[in-house]
Amino acid sequence: MSGRMHPKTVSSQDRIKGFEPYVSNLDERMALYEAARCLMCYDPPCKSACPTGINIPEFIYRIKTGNHYGSAKVIRESNVFGGECGYVCPVERLCESKCVRNNLNEEPVAISLLQRFAYEKEKPKGLVKFKCAPSNKKKVAIIGAGPASLSAAYELARMGYGVTVCDSNPRPGGLMIYGILPWKAAWSVAESEIDYIKSYGVKVVTKKKITDVKALLKDYDAVFIGTGTTESSRMGIPGEELPGVYLAQDFLFSVAKYLKGEGKAPNLKGKRVAVIGGGDTAIDAACTSVRLGADRVYVVYRRSLTEMPAVPYGKMQAKEEGVEFLLLTSPVRIKGDKKVTSLVCVKMELGAPDESGRRSVKPIKGSEFLLDVDAVIVAVGQRPEEDVLRSFGVKVDKGLIVVNDNFATSIKGVYAGGDAVNGGETVVEAVAEGKKAAAAIDKHLRGGK
Amino acid sequence: MVSKPDITVKFCKLELENPFLLSSAPPTCTGEMIMRAFEEGWAGAVTKTIKPDKTPVYDLDNRFGIMGFEDKQMILFENIEEVTKRPVGTWVKEIKEVKKKFPDKILIGSLMAEPKEEDWEELARTISEAGVDMLELNLGCPHGMPERGMGAFCGQRPDLIDRLTRAAKRTSSVPVMVKLTPNVTDIALMAQSAEKAGADAISAINTVLGLIGINIDTFEPMPTVDGKSTFGGMSGPGVKPIGQRCVAQIAQATNIPVSGIGGVTTWRDAVEYLLVGANNVQVCTAVMWRGYRIVADMIDGLTNYLSDRGFSSVKDIAGKTLPKLTAWGKLNKDYEVVATINKDLCIKCGLCYVACRDGGYQAIKFEQGKAAEVDEEKCDACALCTLICPVPNCTTWKRVKK
Repeated sequence: MSGRMHPKTVSSQDRIKGFEPYVSNLDERMALYEAARCLMCYDPPCKSACPTGINIPEFIYRIKTGNHYGSAKVIRESNVFGGECGYVCPVERLCESKCVRNNLNEEPVAISLLQRFAYEKEKPKGLVKFKCAPSNKKKVAIIGAGPASLSAAYELARMGYGVTVCDSNPRPGGLMIYGILPWKAAWSVAESEIDYIKSYGVKVVTKKKITDVKALLKDYDAVFIGTGTTESSRMGIPGEELPGVYLAQDFLFSVAKYLKGEGKAPNLKGKRVAVIGGGDTAIDAACTSVRLGADRVYVVYRRSLTEMPAVPYGKMQAKEEGVEFLLLTSPVRIKGDKKVTSLVCVKMELGAPDESGRRSVKPIKGSEFLLDVDAVIVAVGQRPEEDVLRSFGVKVDKGLIVVNDNFATSIKGVYAGGDAVNGGETVVEAVAEGKKAAAAIDKHLRGGK
Repeated sequence: MVSKPDITVKFCKLELENPFLLSSAPPTCTGEMIMRAFEEGWAGAVTKTIKPDKTPVYDLDNRFGIMGFEDKQMILFENIEEVTKRPVGTWVKEIKEVKKKFPDKILIGSLMAEPKEEDWEELARTISEAGVDMLELNLGCPHGMPERGMGAFCGQRPDLIDRLTRAAKRTSSVPVMVKLTPNVTDIALMAQSAEKAGADAISAINTVLGLIGINIDTFEPMPTVDGKSTFGGMSGPGVKPIGQRCVAQIAQATNIPVSGIGGVTTWRDAVEYLLVGANNVQVCTAVMWRGYRIVADMIDGLTNYLSDRGFSSVKDIAGKTLPKLTAWGKLNKDYEVVATINKDLCIKCGLCYVACRDGGYQAIKFEQGKAAEVDEEKCDACALCTLICPVPNCTTWKRVKK
């Protein structure tokens, strides 16, 4: 039995020259070898770990038999963004972390690589289409066109609903198009799946910002809100308003637009950049800064590498690309006159774990030091825009939309899911919530509870 | 201290420096090839089969095929190649050269002719007098040649085995070994015919008749010659169980030595063949796959195996398994065990559960994240769970009283 396949990757020196994907896909031989590593466990833990419940051993088995289109069908049956998720899922936290091969002290089956393989085989033939129920003359409006919304739209369209999705951006896709840069997933992947969703009759209206949900309910039988987390949290330290300080999401959004030829990217050429935070977004911002030509890029994180929530793969990528990790370090204030010139940091020490198991940290007295930087990117979390949520009139708690187990909000007929509800999870989680909300909406409109 | 066991064997009065011979096949196509193999350490070689000059032979483009399994590129090999095209005169010259340069290596001349006794007499005389140490009569090739009354055509008919063996024995100045085909109903009967006719040894098996695969895009069978194919001879790891069964049957039915052939890839395979009664083994497919050099590990691996177990000679393991092979009806029906799963080793894959549920006795309990458990009342000890378990020594046997 061969070990896990490692496809060709572009060297870090070369890949940072651009924004293109740098990991090759498995070829047929590698896919067969990798698929043969799947034990085909009974009641597989990988499947349980997938928010959308993809039957992973089944799709891998079909790759093994050479039934590639059938493999793609298994994936698409459970996850309408199966292709995109193959590229962006943090599998080290999800399916691959539960792979039984881990129990054999082996690397897990490369589930995401196989999922990409199935998608790439599916794409040229046309994404697998499923049957639709005939129109039931009912209409659902969906606010926001990210993965949760589009997933709900797809499910509802297949059930026979007339679905209209509105988004304030020029393109649908939300974070998949404006937050994820192409080295992780080529935009064509999400775009192909959005086109696929449209092919089920989903109407997508862009550049349209909805605020009045109650007005929508006059024309539509139900509403789904999937407006995501479009605002970055701030640190609340002095100097955060200085030019040269960017909020991570805005930063990534502007780079995405720049790459689409729709605007300018922040000029980081030859600059020293400090990214504050330890999540996947911080890593994305750091690797983006490298690609924008930054001279030195630091990730400033208050805990140690072990506690850093970003997936190991991302941390490794950042290290390979020359990003420097300043661990157990917390920013105190940003200095500068008309623009950022330095960041005052303090060293931290770890304490006992709190209730959530995460270790507390506290500053070490007198350990302040100065880090000379030209730009600071704040990646300490994201949240929905408060004004927007308030305008919807739904009940909000701690800045997030409150829903019950059926994803129903405080307004009858209005449902919500994705980041606006969970506070910022993954594409796959959003897809799963959109799917569950769609089922609840259907039940509601059929006169169920 | 590590002892150095003796791995030489005596085969029809011939001294083999080790039990590893190259079989009659592409790796022994010329004297030059055989000499290179000898330099790598092979104890002997059987030439590619020599036929009378009057018998036409053709090489097809192409003539090999393989069957893989999942990530294994080749578990079975197939060929539709015929015997050597090279003239008898060329072989006589090269046999002399090889024996001159390697007098201590064992060179065996493989022969094939139409079922005419005079042809066999003539060929046996010429090649034995050229200086080979032994002759091997190819009565086993299952493709091409049988259509013209040669190879397996002869090996499937006890009367022809008898007549042709006798013919070769009449003129040969060296011992005669008969190579048999497994494509018969009872290979032991064929071996007895050869023994009765005076054969000094048996070699088995020749390749197994098969159809290695079909191209499902073109509908063409493989190996494809201009769009068509024919049944061919299979070799490689997958035929080893057939070869071993045949060797054991022959060893039980005759009193002459057997040279074991069929899927020998490593020293481990060789040990198994020796245990079921082979005097030595012949190798082809593994050499075609990785070259003559594999013999170095075969020699070393066998030596270490014997040393680790305290054997001073390879002769000590000869036929050791034969007494343990018996008729089904003689197996102990009162022997009872049940499967047992080691909770600490179990990786919780549930494979034993599915196997037992759908291919067994529904005797295993399993829940995601928990070790599988055997219901001893229901377990019928078929062995499926112990075989499918991917963890060594996790699923084993527990003796129970009736």
